[in-house]
Amino acid sequence: MSEGAMAVVKPEMKSYIWLQTVDGSIQQVEEEVAMFCPMICREVLQTGMGSSKNYAILLPQRVNPSILGLILDYCRFHQIPGRSNKERKTFDEKFIRMDTKRLCELTSAADSLQLKPLVDLTSRALARIIEGKTPEEIRETFHLPDDLTEEEKLEPLRNITDDPRIRLLNRLYARKRKELKEREKLKNAEVEEEQVDDRSVDDLLSFINGGDGDTKGVKTSKNKKKNRRRKEQRDSSSNKADENLQNEVDTAPLTQNNAEVNDILVATPSKASKVQDFSGCAFSQKLEFDDSFIDDDLDPAMKEELDREVEDFARRLNSGWPERMQEILSLGQERKLIPSSMNGNSSSRKCISMLSSVPFL
Amino acid sequence: MKHREPPKSLCQTQAELDKFSNLPGHVIDQILSQLSIRDAVRTSVLSTKWRYKWTTIPNLVFDNQCLTFTSQDQTVIKNKLVNVIDHVLLLHTGPIYKFKLSHRDLIGITDIDKWILHLSRSPIREFVLEIWKGQRYKLHSSLFSCQDLIHLELFNCLLRPPATFRGFKNLKSLDLQHVTMAQEVFESLISSCPLLERLTLMNFDGFTHLNIDAPRLLFFDVGGYFDDITFTNTFNLALISIGLYADEKVERRSARNSSNLLKFFAHLPNIRRLEIQSYFLKYLAAGDVPGRLLYPCTDLGYLSIRINLDDFAENSAALCLLRSSPNLQELEILARPEEPSSGATCLSFWEGEQKYCKFSQLRLVKIYGVSGIKTELEFIRFVLLASPVLEKMIIKPAPVNEGMEMVKELLRFRRASVQAEIVYVDP
Repeated sequence: MSEGAMAVVKPEMKSYIWLQTVDGSIQQVEEEVAMFCPMICREVLQTGMGSSKNYAILLPQRVNPSILGLILDYCRFHQIPGRSNKERKTFDEKFIRMDTKRLCELTSAADSLQLKPLVDLTSRALARIIEGKTPEEIRETFHLPDDLTEEEKLEPLRNITDDPRIRLLNRLYARKRKELKEREKLKNAEVEEEQVDDRSVDDLLSFINGGDGDTKGVKTSKNKKKNRRRKEQRDSSSNKADENLQNEVDTAPLTQNNAEVNDILVATPSKASKVQDFSGCAFSQKLEFDDSFIDDDLDPAMKEELDREVEDFARRLNSGWPERMQEILSLGQERKLIPSSMNGNSSSRKCISMLSSVPFL
Repeated sequence: MKHREPPKSLCQTQAELDKFSNLPGHVIDQILSQLSIRDAVRTSVLSTKWRYKWTTIPNLVFDNQCLTFTSQDQTVIKNKLVNVIDHVLLLHTGPIYKFKLSHRDLIGITDIDKWILHLSRSPIREFVLEIWKGQRYKLHSSLFSCQDLIHLELFNCLLRPPATFRGFKNLKSLDLQHVTMAQEVFESLISSCPLLERLTLMNFDGFTHLNIDAPRLLFFDVGGYFDDITFTNTFNLALISIGLYADEKVERRSARNSSNLLKFFAHLPNIRRLEIQSYFLKYLAAGDVPGRLLYPCTDLGYLSIRINLDDFAENSAALCLLRSSPNLQELEILARPEEPSSGATCLSFWEGEQKYCKFSQLRLVKIYGVSGIKTELEFIRFVLLASPVLEKMIIKPAPVNEGMEMVKELLRFRRASVQAEIVYVDP
């Protein structure tokens, strides 16, 4: 309510409290309504303020005039004793139906007035809004700036021990990232330190995200969802193979050949960036099969270049790779031939679907 | 900080629009605390401001809802789980008040030791650890130094506190299920938690005598195999649910010339709600069964008894209890179905009893699992005659019985209450 609107109300029988918002506007509010806010109540009792227009209680900065109206509505309803829980609940549910920006303002204002029940209500509402959304969706909903660098957002590419092609792709990405990093470093010396720090958060995220097959979803597009679905369908068949293979890697003594294969498979540390190296040895060795996360968006400048390289890679992949991979695999582990060839089929599809999704990012 | 410069005006509108990031830290903690740990941690990729906001959330819950894995492989799941928890704990800053770990794929691994050690340096108030499978996990000794604990909940653990353990001075609620500990550990644990209000014990081993010395105890829920139960200083205990699982040896569990019933109720002057489950009535019936308790349970408003109405001793114990519960408002009788009827030992046991026993406030009676034998019908008739304000009696017989015969009998019964309605539920 604006000051003008308030002037119409003639205070006669009731007692009123005078409140002033940070923009200077002053209004009077029924005492029992205003006193519902602990902060106002305390002011009145301790300082005696609020009794007249000249001694209006100055409200915290976070309570802007339009939000004050909402807060008073809330207080007006809830200060009346004897309402049933159901009534209160229905009111609350309707009350918080507003856009997220306003909901945030309301939360902040309620907090500054120490109106705990309202803070609880709005926090719950905000939590519900975030729940299950992708970062992209949350950013959009709350107008959060998308100000993390690609490097920061980029997930550690989890190495898949049993699929050399994925590793090659990883290496390619790693090199790109390294270049990206160099450039960033030139721009700002702080960056590197921060990245080392940030990486662990990302790692963690990827673990948590990787958990249920849901990608981090930095970008969600229809294309990717489709992609994910396709992957899920395949998973049932390829997972078994993965596991078979996995068990063997875990348990089989490391033979000469085995080591050789690993050498070929594991991204060479010198080529990979520090970060990549870290994620490679610390986490993914036998943990990660999820490869549906290559959905990070890239700087337009980089993107074009990367796209070219990826296309090039895809060409190579489609021509000679399946044979070569069989060769590599059979070098080390005869016994793995059957699972890996099964797996090989599925992962070649995986790879291609991934590649095809890249240009849409 | 990065120097990627969006146009100034855009920057300003962004800042203006982004009211969310600028909420005070404790409010954001409150919001994030209501999300699963997964969603909370995911906020770190939102923007630079959100990078580390989640790291101060005071409640950490790792359970099936927040951590689901697609893999079927146990080792893979275990490793992922360990990694996730390691990282959350590593990155977390500030106090942790609540820690819950309950994942169906979790076994008692040594990683839990280090987490507990880590948590013991936080003012942890609520600790929940549920090991769903595998052997008992031996609780790391550092947990016993957490003096801020208010709620402790353990499932499938082995408790062996260090010699220096002097109890949890602030603990109000203790929930132990599938736990192992020595007799003296159990006793000292209970008696050295002076503020204990709620105690739940289910399926325990290592101790057989439940000596409960807890002056503030209000709620006690126990189910398991035990030999004996003794209350000391439990003058506040109001809500009790006791189940004794096996019936062998029960009758030998009382010394001659003493009464388990009298002993049990001696320290329970304020009992308001009592559930006697499984075979615990047999325990109460052991030894001499008095006609009444020394002091009636005047506050007892709800009583539930699982009983074999064909067993003389159990009937006697139930009768003693009912005679000593003048203010009962709700009564539940669960007939133990598995026992074969032994004949006419209890015939006319309840007949005429309404002359000595009145329930002036009993409004609701539920009788489940009866098979229609004579004693049961007599008991029902007694309750109907002894309850002048009864409003409803619900009877649900055991699956195998001749329903109609029983209904015919029930219809003939006189009722002390004009309001009483009998609801017969099909088995």
